[in-house]
Amino acid sequence: MREKTKIWKQMIQTSRWQTRLSALVMGSGQFLYGCRIKGLLYLAVEICTIGYFAMRGMGDIRGFFTLGTQTADPWTNTPGDNSVVMLLMGLLAWLILAGFVALYIANLKDAYRLQQIVDRGERPERFIDAMKRLLDQKFYALALALPVVGVCVFSILPIVFMILIAFTNYGGSIVPPALVDWVGLENFEKIITLSQFAPTFFKILSWNIVWAVLATTINYFAGLGLALLLNKDCVKGKAIWRAFPILAYAIPGFITLLAFKFMFSYGGPINQMIRDAGGVAIGFLDLDAKWTARWIGLLVNCWISVPSIMLLATGHLSNRDMSIYEAARIDGATKFQQFRRLTMPYMIFTTTPVILGQFVGNFNNFGIFYFLRGGMYMDGYFLASDTDLLINWLYNLSIDNNYYCIGAAISLIIFIITSIISLTVYVRSSAYREEDTFQ
Amino acid sequence: MKKHRTPGSILDTIITYVILLVVCAIFFFPCLWLIMASFSKTGSIYSFRGFFPTGFSGATFVKLFTDTTMYNYPRWFVNTLFIACMSCIIGTFLTILTAYTMSRFDFKGRKHMMKTTMVLGMFPSFMGMTAVYILMTQFNLINQHWGLILIYAAGAPMGYLTQKGFFDTIPKAIDEAAKIDGATNFQIFCKVNLPLSKPMLVYTALTSFTWPWSDFILPKLLLKEKDLYTVAVGLMSLDETEFARFAAGSVFIAVPIVILYFCLVKNMIHGISAGAVKG
Repeated sequence: MREKTKIWKQMIQTSRWQTRLSALVMGSGQFLYGCRIKGLLYLAVEICTIGYFAMRGMGDIRGFFTLGTQTADPWTNTPGDNSVVMLLMGLLAWLILAGFVALYIANLKDAYRLQQIVDRGERPERFIDAMKRLLDQKFYALALALPVVGVCVFSILPIVFMILIAFTNYGGSIVPPALVDWVGLENFEKIITLSQFAPTFFKILSWNIVWAVLATTINYFAGLGLALLLNKDCVKGKAIWRAFPILAYAIPGFITLLAFKFMFSYGGPINQMIRDAGGVAIGFLDLDAKWTARWIGLLVNCWISVPSIMLLATGHLSNRDMSIYEAARIDGATKFQQFRRLTMPYMIFTTTPVILGQFVGNFNNFGIFYFLRGGMYMDGYFLASDTDLLINWLYNLSIDNNYYCIGAAISLIIFIITSIISLTVYVRSSAYREEDTFQ
Repeated sequence: MKKHRTPGSILDTIITYVILLVVCAIFFFPCLWLIMASFSKTGSIYSFRGFFPTGFSGATFVKLFTDTTMYNYPRWFVNTLFIACMSCIIGTFLTILTAYTMSRFDFKGRKHMMKTTMVLGMFPSFMGMTAVYILMTQFNLINQHWGLILIYAAGAPMGYLTQKGFFDTIPKAIDEAAKIDGATNFQIFCKVNLPLSKPMLVYTALTSFTWPWSDFILPKLLLKEKDLYTVAVGLMSLDETEFARFAAGSVFIAVPIVILYFCLVKNMIHGISAGAVKG
């Protein structure tokens, strides 16, 4: 930081008037030093930005803070403010401002660089040559432009928008044309303290954590076990055996889930068989089937996720250095000891990122209970059921029932929980600390 | 390596095979059940004895494609195919480009970008979706296939880490050799690295095809008209009594994917583990 201020101070002290003019009129320095096109481009940027801010940018930024003051009135025919659009336009204005500041700084630096070139008595590069050089040297900037714009618009913008929504009262009856307001941390307070949300939130949160841990552990060890089993020397025709899990892997998830729902439903084959045998049909996924439904969820999830873990583990197992096993055998280690002391550490080391990914994925596993027990609202829960995870609750709240701001606050909480867990695990894991133990 | 057989090892082998048989049965049974159900004669789940239908015929498949007044399956199928293909092409292109640049170029802000994508990945995908939903309703973009394609394709580069891991394994010396011969960066990418990364291309294309092919959340959010549905949403909207039709529809869209997976299983394993090593 101190270095940077020093450089800037030096730039200010040693710059000549042409360079300094650039601070006022962007591009003027470049123009005077002979880079006409570049100078004009910079000037155009400045004029456009000033124009934008004069025309609507200032208003947009004000709108970002007020979120609209004029309610629509059909009687007097006044068009009202649309808070959501104002929020978005405000965001856009901030972005343009940030981009302008970045360009402004680049402009100053560039002018100073040109001054130094001219002082040395050289000729600055021609515009076309500079473009050609940039195109090759900065191939990455060109290549990344499209993906970055896409990710910004379709991933980052919605997330930022959602974070902002979490601090407003948007939702319920307050949707445009009604005016939305900033409410600060009120939504979070509501979730934690209000009797409407708090009990549901804590019940779902604790089940969600239990679910994520159980599901990840079961899936991981089942997948690893299957891979080890298939990896045994005595198993012939490995490709055929492996085909069955891959079959399960390839079937789109929603088909599997809907099929399992049919299978466990009242009219489904299992209940039919129970009835034929003289029993009474069991509501596996019924309102009062708390733990049965949860276990079915875990097992179905297992059916869906084990094959991918098996494939992954197979890949890693074949990468093992087999000589250490030979050494262990000579030292008299049993099979179990080999597994415990050699295979497990190696697998955990190589798959930590995957386990983390699995954990986050399971934590936010929307499909399982949406399909198996979707749309159930229970007593003691606010718009949720006892198998719903936070993500299902979020869906119920925000998509089905318009509680957008509460939903947004919950998703922020989900994000904080998952990121804290995965970051701590990742930083403490051996994969991060000893990056090349097994390489 | 030939080991002599002891009673212990024979028992071990037997147990191994028994477990394998059970596991494979568990994985195979639901698939078999669906396939059998899709060929059932009556089409209603209530006429089944236990798991399996009593009579077989291919009538359900015919019905699936001809009886389109209530459930327009052919239309859904075309919609899905269109969305999946377009997102696959655009998504693969963007992902490969991102991964390649992130792997090969050391530029300012690269570390920041990698960290940002990691943090972004931890947001519940849903969180963005509700926002996307709100935004799309505000701007009247509900019921547009292109909206879906854009979201899928633009989201694809977020998962570039697997591909980056792959490009990391291609030696940089090749690039340098090409550079000495006077190739530009763009030429190096097109003529040197792209041909080398065929398995990765296949893997990327496959994953970015299957995601829209089997996704249900986004289409359910954004497509409200029955004629615009994708197969996933359409099958979800089926009545519970139409089980055979559901089974037939599922079998019909699962089969291409299953075949693709089996043809490309080598690439898949490679892709999965390449991504995992580098995290």
